[in-house]
Amino acid sequence: MSALLGMLFDGVAYGMLLFLMSVGLSVTLGMMNFVNLAHCSFAMLGGYLAVTLMNGWGWPFFATLPVAFVAAAVASIVLERLFFRRFYNAGDLPQCLLTIGIVFVSIAGAAYIYGTDQQPVHLPDYLNGSIAFHGMEFAVYRLFLIATAALVTLVLAVGVEKTRFGAQVRAAVNNQRMARGLGIDVDTLFAVTFALGGGLAGLGGALAINMLGLDPSFALTYVIYVLIVVSIGGLGSIAGTFAAAMLLGIADVAGKYYIPALGSVLIYLVMLTMIMWRPTGLFGRR
Amino acid sequence: MPDPLLSLADIRAGYGAGIVLEDVTFDLPESGSLAVLGRNGVGKSTLILTIMGMTHIGRGRIVWRGEDITAYPPHRRARAGIGWVAQEREIFSNLTVEENLTVASRQGRWDLPSVYDLFPRLAERRRHLGNQLSGGEQQMLAIARALMTNPALLLLDEPLEGLAPIVVEELAAAVRRMTGEAAGAFILVEQHADIALSLTQSVIVLERGRIVHSGPSAGLLADHAAMDRLIGLRLAEA
Ligand SMILES: Nc1ncnc2c1ncn2[C@@H]1O[C@H](COP(=O)(O)OP(=O)(O)OP(=O)(O)O)[C@@H](O)[C@H]1O
Ligand SMILES: [Mg+2]
Repeated sequence: MSALLGMLFDGVAYGMLLFLMSVGLSVTLGMMNFVNLAHCSFAMLGGYLAVTLMNGWGWPFFATLPVAFVAAAVASIVLERLFFRRFYNAGDLPQCLLTIGIVFVSIAGAAYIYGTDQQPVHLPDYLNGSIAFHGMEFAVYRLFLIATAALVTLVLAVGVEKTRFGAQVRAAVNNQRMARGLGIDVDTLFAVTFALGGGLAGLGGALAINMLGLDPSFALTYVIYVLIVVSIGGLGSIAGTFAAAMLLGIADVAGKYYIPALGSVLIYLVMLTMIMWRPTGLFGRR
Repeated sequence: MPDPLLSLADIRAGYGAGIVLEDVTFDLPESGSLAVLGRNGVGKSTLILTIMGMTHIGRGRIVWRGEDITAYPPHRRARAGIGWVAQEREIFSNLTVEENLTVASRQGRWDLPSVYDLFPRLAERRRHLGNQLSGGEQQMLAIARALMTNPALLLLDEPLEGLAPIVVEELAAAVRRMTGEAAGAFILVEQHADIALSLTQSVIVLERGRIVHSGPSAGLLADHAAMDRLIGLRLAEA
């Protein structure tokens, strides 16, 4: 029983990270049909920035989180303005080639600056250790991770469901031409959404170091998981992305725990099953 | 003579390399109303889309209140005061009825209470999602959504298409009331030629992308021979 709970706990913590790193891609893919394989490069940027600020400059961990968010947001908007927007009508293949190129550039850049070793992080003492509860141990950092991601999710959900900006994003995801025809400036809306999505990835990257580690292959390794989340969750659906991230996080942890022989193959089986069962995603509409 | 509200001069437009409209020229005064008639596939929707900035314009000029908007993107035209009711309705299916109405609304005479007054059925369904509406309700929502942007010119692309006769009457009455009260200009594409002519001041008839007739609506409505020649079968149906 307690092993099961412990596994669920780890799975939820992992799922929360996956959600932060996926939600931006889901929305922008749904909105502009732009396949951004470099999405996790923004996450990696957030991670390395947090490491640099902590280890090099002595910043407290918490202070690095907003910086990771803002820097990744700015980086994504710069790339969007410079490159991506020229490729919106170019089709999937050129988009994949462009963004996979950016992934490799980001990997090479990170390896050049930081080397290929795992980056050490030193968390403040109060985030280390664990809390005992009914005979079980809960790692404090993972509790903090879950709480932070839950808060971000809540803000995001309210922002998307209750504000006019959110309604405009949903409208543009649903029917871009009609949105334009009603006077919504879809390009600006998209640039802002893109920045927010990149920023969330950057925040996820900074939060991920302590749990997933950080080396230059991060951008490639985790974009696979993110793509699985997006394809299971359905394009443009925040609730779907959240459910898919949880499912995948728990399945991955459970798989490694109960069936180590299957290792990380299990999540691909989960993906196959889900895609065959619901080709348009959990809450998909198309 | 004041500037017309909208004027198209010698417009050639289409999709990519394909030309659909050729030589299209007309003026619409402030508060004017224009019926656009013609058989299936002659380019009526393309004309509407061209005014919205959603086609490729190869030649000619579109002038709005004295300003050349030929190169404006769609959202700027909408913000300048052009409202669009698409032929396929294109309701945002993932938004509620009320969100569809408010998502792009702008200040003016039309607001939630006044469009709900015009279409009471939408008020009943305000919490429903766009894809839970009947065809007639979707059409009401498409019109109401465009009204909520408080346009100076409303483009209506076959608002009565594919609706049951009783709904057609209800909607035609609403359009009559709306255009009568609001004193805004509108362009009405319609297969029901008699309804369209009775609602408008002037008419153009398209034939393979060109204007083959233009004049006052009342004149065409009274001229059965011309009606028959220009739009053929349609009159017999109506
Ligand atoms: N998106 C498009 N791309 C290419 N060609 C198009 C497109 N939309 C319409 N056409 C072509 O343009 C021509 C005019 O079409 P349009 O939709 O303007 O006609 P319409 O008068 O509105 O017809 P209907 O009465 O059936 O609505 C047709 O030959 C059609 O095939
Ligand atoms: Mg049409």
